[in-house]
Amino acid sequence: MGVNLGDLVPKTPVDLKNLNRKKVAIDAYNALYQFLAIIRQPDGTPLRDHRGMITSHLSGLFYRTCNLMEMGIKVIYVFDGMPPALKEAEIKRRSKIKEEAQIKYEVALKEGKIEEARSYAQMTSRLKDYMAEDSKHLLNCMGVPWVQAPSEGEAQAAILRKKGSADYCASQDFDSLLFGAPVLLRNLTISGRRKLPRKNVYIEIEPETVELAKLLKELEITFEQLIDIGILIGTDYNPDGVKGVGPKSALKLIKEHGSLEAALPMLKNAEFPVEPRIIREVFLHPKVTDNYSLSWQEPNVEGVVEFLCGEKDFSEDRVRKALSKAVEGMKESKKKTTLESWF
Amino acid sequence: MKYRHKKNGELDLFKIRMSDAKLLRDAVTAISTLIDEGTFVIGPDGIKLRAMDPSRVAMVDFAMQKTTFDEYASDQETKICLNLGELLKLLKRAGKDEAVELYLDEGTGQFVITIRGKYIRTFRMPTLEASEEEQGLPKITFNAKVTLTTDGLRQSLEDVALVSDHVRIETDGEKLAMNAKGDIMGANIELKKGSDALLSVEATEPSKSTFPLSYLSEIVKAAVATSDIVTLEFSNDMPIRLDFKQTYDGTLVYYLAPRIEVE
Repeated sequence: MGVNLGDLVPKTPVDLKNLNRKKVAIDAYNALYQFLAIIRQPDGTPLRDHRGMITSHLSGLFYRTCNLMEMGIKVIYVFDGMPPALKEAEIKRRSKIKEEAQIKYEVALKEGKIEEARSYAQMTSRLKDYMAEDSKHLLNCMGVPWVQAPSEGEAQAAILRKKGSADYCASQDFDSLLFGAPVLLRNLTISGRRKLPRKNVYIEIEPETVELAKLLKELEITFEQLIDIGILIGTDYNPDGVKGVGPKSALKLIKEHGSLEAALPMLKNAEFPVEPRIIREVFLHPKVTDNYSLSWQEPNVEGVVEFLCGEKDFSEDRVRKALSKAVEGMKESKKKTTLESWF
Repeated sequence: MKYRHKKNGELDLFKIRMSDAKLLRDAVTAISTLIDEGTFVIGPDGIKLRAMDPSRVAMVDFAMQKTTFDEYASDQETKICLNLGELLKLLKRAGKDEAVELYLDEGTGQFVITIRGKYIRTFRMPTLEASEEEQGLPKITFNAKVTLTTDGLRQSLEDVALVSDHVRIETDGEKLAMNAKGDIMGANIELKKGSDALLSVEATEPSKSTFPLSYLSEIVKAAVATSDIVTLEFSNDMPIRLDFKQTYDGTLVYYLAPRIEVE
């Protein structure tokens, strides 16, 4: 879910070809959820192996990562750890949505409404522990580094960028910005032609970047004020936000009054699960670690084949082809230089 | 210049007139081969632009001194960011020997281009957010310097493009060699001292670097209309500097990052 900053955010389209040799820290759970939601059969059934275990996330992770490697991008996956206690309400809320979607999915399926069934099925996606473990195992075989965040993955990804271990933080959620990610890369894992939910309309989704400094400058606000705007709209820690306050009015309120606390008297109906300053604190000082190491290795082709084809019933031909393209792309990327090395 | 005055008596930021629009059109063509949007700095001495392409593989460093223009007035530095594709479309409307005038409409923030020929055409285009960063130049020690005809370079690159996507440029101080190796074909081109195409060659040590033709060919193709003579400077596995001598008082220089051959 995450905070919906919507139109407030200045976005710059980016050509992935120009990210050669760039290190991109991807919010792993965010990406895996997308794969689980999107990679399904027309009636909404996810991909499964012969034992009935879901493999949609592995399919997305493998082919998309190969694709990015082919373009010379050095990917890092950052996995969520324990969610902050504040997130409990949001987690319960999401769980409830999924239970309801599950029932609607089954009804739609029984009534033969395939399109409808599929869109409900997408909402039932649950990321089980075994899927995260599967994914980490696959990444190990592929020689792609991953980082275990102590808590929120987006916060950890922001630290990677701040420490110079990554050039971009990739996620769909604008929360990354509230965690201080200097450059957010969106639509990295879902770019291409996508169908709009419940409509027979396709749109082209292109990768784009959002720069935090540019955002703050354009809106003429401080980083703390951006967090306050997020809290008014609603974050994972107060999903409901303040009733009737959207991005535009939140910006106006914070600019007029300076801070959330100063704006509160204007908002008689405002309710927060905890004091807003506690939510603000999670964004300002999230639980992160600098105990990580990153190294990109040649993929262990036989290891990948054994896991994906031997255990997960992937097509060996397709897997080998994708891997060899990825290896070729990484090799080629080392030969390309940019002028940046000579300043 | 009387036309520089706005209705309220104030001076425009700048007002520029060039009697032959071709010069400007060719310059914008040369720049737009690398970048889609460019920030021109219009100052008291002339116009300049320096920018890297989005992938930061190449840079263009352009300047046109005010003496190139028939009328030029700008007391201060003004930064104007324009969509070069759109600008080019408009400049292309100017026929041979038609004059072009440029100024900024401060009221609307629009860039105004007037073409004066058989009749007067005025185009307006939006200005974009100008980049604030001052682009520096790469720091490179060049060991080799070769001057040749721009056409000679263009033809050599067309030759090597038949067999490969990249070219190795090499000199020992006596000759310039361009070598390409494809999967099944190869090409070797030699320009020796005394040949018509090679004007001078010097090297403090033998130097060679490989460059992607996707950039190099495009740069040369785009610059060929503005220049007859080009000076290449390079070293081992370093960016190359291409200085296209302009027919007017100005600069058109490109830098291109090398391709490193790792075995």
